Amino acid sequence: MILYKGRAMRLSFAELERFYQDLVTRARDQGITCAITSGMACVEFGVAETTKDCDLLCTPESSKKLFDLLRDASLQGQLPSYRGHLTAPLDERWLRGGWTSHFVWNAGGTEGYLDVFGVAPRSSAPWQRELEGFYACRHTVAEMKRTNRERDWPYATALGAQMIEAGDARGWLHIFDPDLLVALTRVARPPARLSRLRPVLGLAVSGDSRLRSALHAEVQFWHELDRVRLGIYQRAVRPYMRTVTRARLSPEMGLAAQHETRVRCAEKHLPLNPLVDYGVMRLIDDARAAVAELVNPAALAWLPDVREHFNVAAE
Amino acid sequence: MKTGRYRRKSWPPAVRRKLRRAVYDFHVRTFGEELARVNFQPLAKRRRYVGEMVDHALRKGMRFERPALGVTP
Repeated sequence: MILYKGRAMRLSFAELERFYQDLVTRARDQGITCAITSGMACVEFGVAETTKDCDLLCTPESSKKLFDLLRDASLQGQLPSYRGHLTAPLDERWLRGGWTSHFVWNAGGTEGYLDVFGVAPRSSAPWQRELEGFYACRHTVAEMKRTNRERDWPYATALGAQMIEAGDARGWLHIFDPDLLVALTRVARPPARLSRLRPVLGLAVSGDSRLRSALHAEVQFWHELDRVRLGIYQRAVRPYMRTVTRARLSPEMGLAAQHETRVRCAEKHLPLNPLVDYGVMRLIDDARAAVAELVNPAALAWLPDVREHFNVAAE
Repeated sequence: MKTGRYRRKSWPPAVRRKLRRAVYDFHVRTFGEELARVNFQPLAKRRRYVGEMVDHALRKGMRFERPALGVTP
């Protein structure tokens, strides 16, 4: 606990980090496959990011066990609640479909935020195949950083650069800074099969002047993919949100009662996998059409094939 | 994507140095000199720095939590 002007303040970052790591340890002891990702993983990996929220990946089939663990997980004597009207219940059916469950430990000066999801957005392979201690691996975290938020991209690049330095060629898939990409290809070469997955690598290797424009188009493409994906979920959640709002859930109800109500509302009003309902190819086509209006049309030829980044989500 | 096929043992020292230089320059250009220095420090020091930065921001009233949207960007 931090004391500031004689008053108790929120938990320190170090205390919160220990709490979340302890949660992961206890979860794994009970056979739950889970891993911390996003901001806290970036701090661990050497790309300092100011965050105090914890994003936790959990295999959907472990969600029941994780819920039971969270129900009794006390932070400074406080138990968690669901956060917000949009949050899906922590249940295998919705976790598998790409929904996120948000939790908060909230009492006076003590706050902890935990977001749980089963599918790592944009991950080209199941995240649970490769972990680094408490954390998802750099490759997964970097893929997750290809969001529609500009500020996330330098983190993806920094993680990719670390992977290349460490001899993991998949890092070449994450370098989005043109100057760094040129500098790295002067020293080392990406494997040809990666250039097939990501055509802009070929432009970097050959010193082609179109690289900057092609990279810009590629980043805009990922922005649009994320924007379209979020739109699909935001539209799908509305009927559920209205029902949960009417249910007037309060923290005093306790997590188990909140959960039961949310599951009941979700069974009636929350589609299991809106991405599958919408269609992955339709999502990609929408993003491609949107990016065509934003960039030099010639640069569209260098966009990557992104289908494998949505296969896991669509399973 | 299979992990093993993309791994190599290690870079020759000269290549390693050049890679490190290029990556460090990227960190300076993107995150600024101070954070670049922090990013290349050992884990314990890095954690302490980020912890102090977050705690200071909290004392000043900054809020970090993101909206609960039901889906992760």
